[in-house]
Amino acid sequence: MKATDLFRETGSALDSNRGRSLLTVLGIVIGIAAVIAMTALIDGIKYALVGQLGLNRARLVYIQCWTPYGSVSTADLDRWQQALPDYEYLTGASYGWGDMTAGTRSSSGQIMGTYPEFFDAMGIKLVEGRIYTDREVDRGSLVIVIDETIAKTLFGEGGAYVGRTVKIGSNEYSVIGVTEASGMTSNSSYMPFTTLNTRVNGYESMDQILGYARDGVDADALAEQTTAYLTSTYDIDEEQGNGYVYVYTMASITRQLDSTMMSFQLLMTSVASISLVVGGIGIMNMMLTNVTERIREIGLRKALGARSSDITKQFLLESVTLCIAGGIIGILAGYGGAWALAGAASNFAGIEGVAPIITANSVMLATGICVGIGIIFGYYPARRAAKLDPVESLRYQ
Amino acid sequence: MRPVIEVQGVHRIYETEAGYTHALRSVSLTVRRGEFLAIMGPSGSGKSTLMNILGCLDTPTAGTYRLEGLEVSSLDDDDLAEIRATRLGFVFQSFNLLPRATVLRNVMLPLVYSDVPAAEREMRAWKALTSVDLPEEYYEHKSNELSGGQMQRVAIARALVNDPALILADEPTGNLDTATGEMVLQTFARMKRRGKTIVLITHDADVASWADRVVHIRDGRLLTDEQERAYIARAERKGADA
Repeated sequence: MKATDLFRETGSALDSNRGRSLLTVLGIVIGIAAVIAMTALIDGIKYALVGQLGLNRARLVYIQCWTPYGSVSTADLDRWQQALPDYEYLTGASYGWGDMTAGTRSSSGQIMGTYPEFFDAMGIKLVEGRIYTDREVDRGSLVIVIDETIAKTLFGEGGAYVGRTVKIGSNEYSVIGVTEASGMTSNSSYMPFTTLNTRVNGYESMDQILGYARDGVDADALAEQTTAYLTSTYDIDEEQGNGYVYVYTMASITRQLDSTMMSFQLLMTSVASISLVVGGIGIMNMMLTNVTERIREIGLRKALGARSSDITKQFLLESVTLCIAGGIIGILAGYGGAWALAGAASNFAGIEGVAPIITANSVMLATGICVGIGIIFGYYPARRAAKLDPVESLRYQ
Repeated sequence: MRPVIEVQGVHRIYETEAGYTHALRSVSLTVRRGEFLAIMGPSGSGKSTLMNILGCLDTPTAGTYRLEGLEVSSLDDDDLAEIRATRLGFVFQSFNLLPRATVLRNVMLPLVYSDVPAAEREMRAWKALTSVDLPEEYYEHKSNELSGGQMQRVAIARALVNDPALILADEPTGNLDTATGEMVLQTFARMKRRGKTIVLITHDADVASWADRVVHIRDGRLLTDEQERAYIARAERKGADA
């Protein structure tokens, strides 16, 4: 029996059972959709993180430090920089909160007081204008950089936001730059470190310290070195309640994220495998019904000269084709589902900018799974069909 | 010329739960090329078993069966399948067409298993359908849209399509009324005139009368016409005595 004949026979057999075939593959559809949604989302999240932080992420060190003598100052950072030359720079930031108004519109949210380096370290990209200069930080200038989301809230669509004015408290700030609103930096605005502390917060604090390791320096090792330096310099003893120091790298966050993803992946994999097994059993059930219904046809084919292997092949190909059809529907459904999940994530968890990605690998994986299930669960019915005695099958009513 | 069928001392014993069933006892039969033979017998006489053995669907427990000189009783399943695909044509009582397939596809089905090139198949099916006098407008119809007589003629065309050495027909008129059955039998008679070898199995003496020769089967044994007459006479005497 030739391959083309095999495909033609399979096509017409499945075509005549279309409704039942569609219902039967539902389990496979769900299983494959889960696999695809999972891999597309995970790939999308990873891509969003890498894309956002760019190459910087591996060189970034986060430092949280509270000394027994109080908050860290900008002058302290200069001393650290000299003691730890592996840093290209260290830059501080403080957090504030304020209501921004422009005319009748308003937006409230977190405002960060930073130095110019902060934008580079965090990989924040400008879509319009510029960031503030060191001079503006020194002077405490009334300038602000806002992201696109806030810009649209305050000034509407249309761009050309630079030069507009926003009011926070009693002060007016002129917009000098607009940043891309993506991923986790959405709904953010930035002003010079000194401006935030003097005008908005009214006290000086440094809530976050970012270190940017020199090219080629191992960030994790530098983080350990930093912890040791800070502990000895400030006589920090966390157990005694004398300040604390916590240093971590982007790499360690990524690792943590990976383990979070792992549990998500594990959950989805178990959902997928359960429904794939259930789907496979459904396929087997339908194929067994098929064999019973077509006993006379099998007897006839054998009488006309079909070998047992021809019958096996025909029924195996039917179940594999069914599974692949289910897989194709599942891939489409999974991709749609991944977008829906990404949408839900941005609505409820505030994670934005995650675009699910379907790779050739995940499609190949899904197809492979389908072929495997088709063969595994189709084999028993196919063998049963092939083993039928032609004489008895022809007599079967 | 070598006979198409040479059966020598064939026994067929089935193992059932009730014990051994002797379906055929020392059956010997020779069918010449171009002969139209009818095998007659009541149900349970072993005629289906003989038909299955002649059709290479079953193998004898003992004895030899040569089909066109080829000893087939010792062949394995795949070789038997090949024999069926290339040398035998079957016509069944219940037609056994694929209901959702077209007439042409039904007729081409055996060619799928005998590796006839796809390009040649339609031509062959066309030829076979012409020889059974099925009007051309039915060729693209689904087989379940035809009448019983038409279906059986499609089935005969299917049996002819691979130009077999032997056509085996098992009660081909059993599901048809007398007039339609006659048309089908005329088709067989025409095949015979064209040199086909036909073995027809029936329990109906009128149907058997179309054949060149009739053999009877009783309790697994073949009887000639004379032996059959003697058998019936004996049975009638027994009936009269009782």
